[in-house]
Amino acid sequence: MVFGGGAAGDYSSGSMATPEAAVAEEDMVGKDYVGISEVSSSSYPGSAGVGGGMDEEEELELGLSLGTKKAVGGGGTPWADYCRILTAEDLPSMGSRASPLSSSSSVSSSSSPIAGGERCNGRVAKKTSSNPPSQMVVGWPPIRAYRMNSLVNQSKENTSAHTTITSTHKKASQNIKNNKTGERICCKEIEKKGRSSVNSLFVKVNLDGDPIGRKVDLSSYPSYETLALALEAMFLRQTLVLGSSIYDGPRTSKLLDGSSGFIITYEDRDGDWMLVGDVPWGMFLSTVKRLRIMKTSGASGLGKWDCQSHVHPSCSPGVFRMIPHSEGLL
Amino acid sequence: MVRGFGWAAAFPDEVWEHVFSFLAADADRNAVALVCRAWHRIERRSRRRVFVGNCYAVAPAAAVRRFPEVRAAAIKGKPHFADFNLVPTDWGGGAEAWVEAMAEGWPHLEELRLKRMVVSDDCLELIARSFKNFGVLSLVSCDGFSTAGLAAIAANCRNLRELDLHENEVEDNCLNWISHFPESFTSLVSLNIACLEGDVNTSVLECLISRCPNLRTLRLNHAMPLEKLVSLLQRAPQLMDLGTSKFSADHHPELFFKLESTFAGFKHLKSLSGIWEAGPAYLPAIYSVCESLTSLNLCYATIQSPELFKLVSRCKNLQRLWVMDLIEDNGLIAVAASCKLLQELRVFPSDPYGVAPPISLTEHGLVAISAGCLMLHSVLYFCRQMTNAALLTIANNRPNLTCFRLCIIEPHTPDYISQEPLDAGFSAIVESCKDLRRLSLSGLLTDRVFKSIGASANRLEMLSVAFAGDSDAGLHYILSGCKNLRKLEIRDCPFGDKALLDNASKLETMRSLWMSSCSVTLGACRQLALKMPRLNVEVIDERRGRPLESWPDDFPVEKLYIYRTVAGPRSDTPPCVWTV
Repeated sequence: MVFGGGAAGDYSSGSMATPEAAVAEEDMVGKDYVGISEVSSSSYPGSAGVGGGMDEEEELELGLSLGTKKAVGGGGTPWADYCRILTAEDLPSMGSRASPLSSSSSVSSSSSPIAGGERCNGRVAKKTSSNPPSQMVVGWPPIRAYRMNSLVNQSKENTSAHTTITSTHKKASQNIKNNKTGERICCKEIEKKGRSSVNSLFVKVNLDGDPIGRKVDLSSYPSYETLALALEAMFLRQTLVLGSSIYDGPRTSKLLDGSSGFIITYEDRDGDWMLVGDVPWGMFLSTVKRLRIMKTSGASGLGKWDCQSHVHPSCSPGVFRMIPHSEGLL
Repeated sequence: MVRGFGWAAAFPDEVWEHVFSFLAADADRNAVALVCRAWHRIERRSRRRVFVGNCYAVAPAAAVRRFPEVRAAAIKGKPHFADFNLVPTDWGGGAEAWVEAMAEGWPHLEELRLKRMVVSDDCLELIARSFKNFGVLSLVSCDGFSTAGLAAIAANCRNLRELDLHENEVEDNCLNWISHFPESFTSLVSLNIACLEGDVNTSVLECLISRCPNLRTLRLNHAMPLEKLVSLLQRAPQLMDLGTSKFSADHHPELFFKLESTFAGFKHLKSLSGIWEAGPAYLPAIYSVCESLTSLNLCYATIQSPELFKLVSRCKNLQRLWVMDLIEDNGLIAVAASCKLLQELRVFPSDPYGVAPPISLTEHGLVAISAGCLMLHSVLYFCRQMTNAALLTIANNRPNLTCFRLCIIEPHTPDYISQEPLDAGFSAIVESCKDLRRLSLSGLLTDRVFKSIGASANRLEMLSVAFAGDSDAGLHYILSGCKNLRKLEIRDCPFGDKALLDNASKLETMRSLWMSSCSVTLGACRQLALKMPRLNVEVIDERRGRPLESWPDDFPVEKLYIYRTVAGPRSDTPPCVWTV
């Protein structure tokens, strides 16, 4: 039977401080567990320096990891090798991201107090340059997805004179006028920051003919290619092991080159449906509201979800660019 | 010949029915039903309201059969953590099975409330057709339907009183669904469409509102421009609960004047929400209703502190305040001084990922509220720092807390002054607040806090834990204590097999247990499932395509959802979910 993460074996140079009185108190119930909790208590930042022989250089780690970093768990826990929920740092070339932050959460939970403590100090005292760890964890902080999407949509629409909730300086945002230049600047800002106002960007993805929609976090993909591969894995091949599809570098997505018989489209914030892939990735992230994978055979006749609401007599030719494009893909 | 206890036959059934009608709580009615067969029979025939906390805990047909005279049903589907994208979208919680059973067995159903379920348009159409006297439809955090389904409801439910759509994901494919309410339809009392994304035809809505004199609640969606909002609201001065649309526009003095006089015309307004994208220019138009407000929801209003302060400090009778952390400590201190009747406070983060410079909202704000608002009993607070001392003060100030949910945004954050874990602070909360029913923990926590919770939190019904604890002892303390625990949800904690198996029987006394990113292995799940046949042990794993049977016992379980059920394993599990 596996004890809580096999933590007992994790701390090298067992510099175990004497268990605090609170832990060692008469506690017959906890007797089975005392060995583990004693170890943990030695690594609190409050007590003698860095506890448990933790490596100072170790990256501050929070969240979920691949387990490919230093062998946290010392081999005692078989599950450390399995990848958990893939977070953004598992995907290749995340570019602007600083030191990726991850941790095998349950095993090194005692290492995290240090991380948490230092990180906390860093955050309160001054603005740190690297991304805060809480960005990397799925579903944390615990804010309803509905609310996150509402806030993201609000901030997208507030790229003009109104103060955005995620702007770093109120003055700076007030200077951004509501014009094309302003929007371009804003998009560049978004791209520059890497993961600024659009952090967890869950959008709905629907496949034609499939009543159940999925949600994907667009901000965890660095490019159209990886997104398309992930969508392929999700919708077109049910039993695929995720790992092998994302990492096959030279393989291109069938969704993007049109050989699968499907194309990916997205609805932007103006309500227009566009073909995915035409604008720079960063700009795409700032305008996309949801995705749709359409069958190319029905490209000229749009699906029932599209019909009346998006066809305006006055719509510009650009709105339905996808039709001439899809012909090119077939 | 009298069956059961003799005294039960001393009165005719109708008398007992009348007596039971005074029992509002389901728990009381359940207790009554266990006394004797006669009471069981009488109670089941007279039960009018049913609440199913977990849609898979009982088979729909069984529920319908047992309580044939139900008029109001409430059903919940997905686990709470589905709100944070931790549950796969295809996990389940489909409403069809229930709606079909209800259409069959409860033709007189009047009220249906669904939360976190997947509701299709077909379901909505079935509801619209099947219940002649249907009056109340409430969908909270649901998805799977579109405005076409809403059109069916509008067209067919002649006696609809309430349509409450709260934070659903609704496909917008039928723009004019509101026009499907017939001209003869006048019964609307409450309409909440705040979650709809598309434009709503204002003139059709205006007509609808004009012919529904009983309308008390109107919550609009974001899309309606301010000018249209004004003309709409002038039709409904009797409103008690208003959710506005977008509250900003280019500044026009005329528009402001109209808005201001419209609000001045609301003599009965008690609850205000919406105020999306509030611009400071239009906010003062609300001032005239502030005095009478008991509930103010500004959680989508990105108003800065000075304006917020001016607005909230006028609301002397406020009982419920939901606001963004833009209010800052100073704003909360002002609230503590002005809003003496405050019972519930929720403070949401405007910048959860910490990109902007930190807002000046700290533990001081919450401490001030706890000191100044004597009736405060429910708190949801997002912040970035906390101390044990602050929590102790709060605990001492407010022993009447029933719901305390603190989210320190950074996981594992200790007391920022002493660098200690926050065990002492949360322990003080559970020891002092004897009626605490709901608790969410955050920050740096060791097993010690769980010991306190297990020992002291006797009324606790729901506990949420994340990034806390050191070992199985933590989980063991909770499961072996907390007499009234119903829902436990845990993520990213080093809790494993031993505590789970040692406390297997506890799980049957609870509604559900969620554990994700913990240290549970498949072997333990198998053992648990064997030991406890009336639990569904669902292992959720989105990574692998191979079936569960092929994996070894030491395989780590990514996500685990355990719930008690009398319906056995469910038949609608998707590929990523296995019932062990």
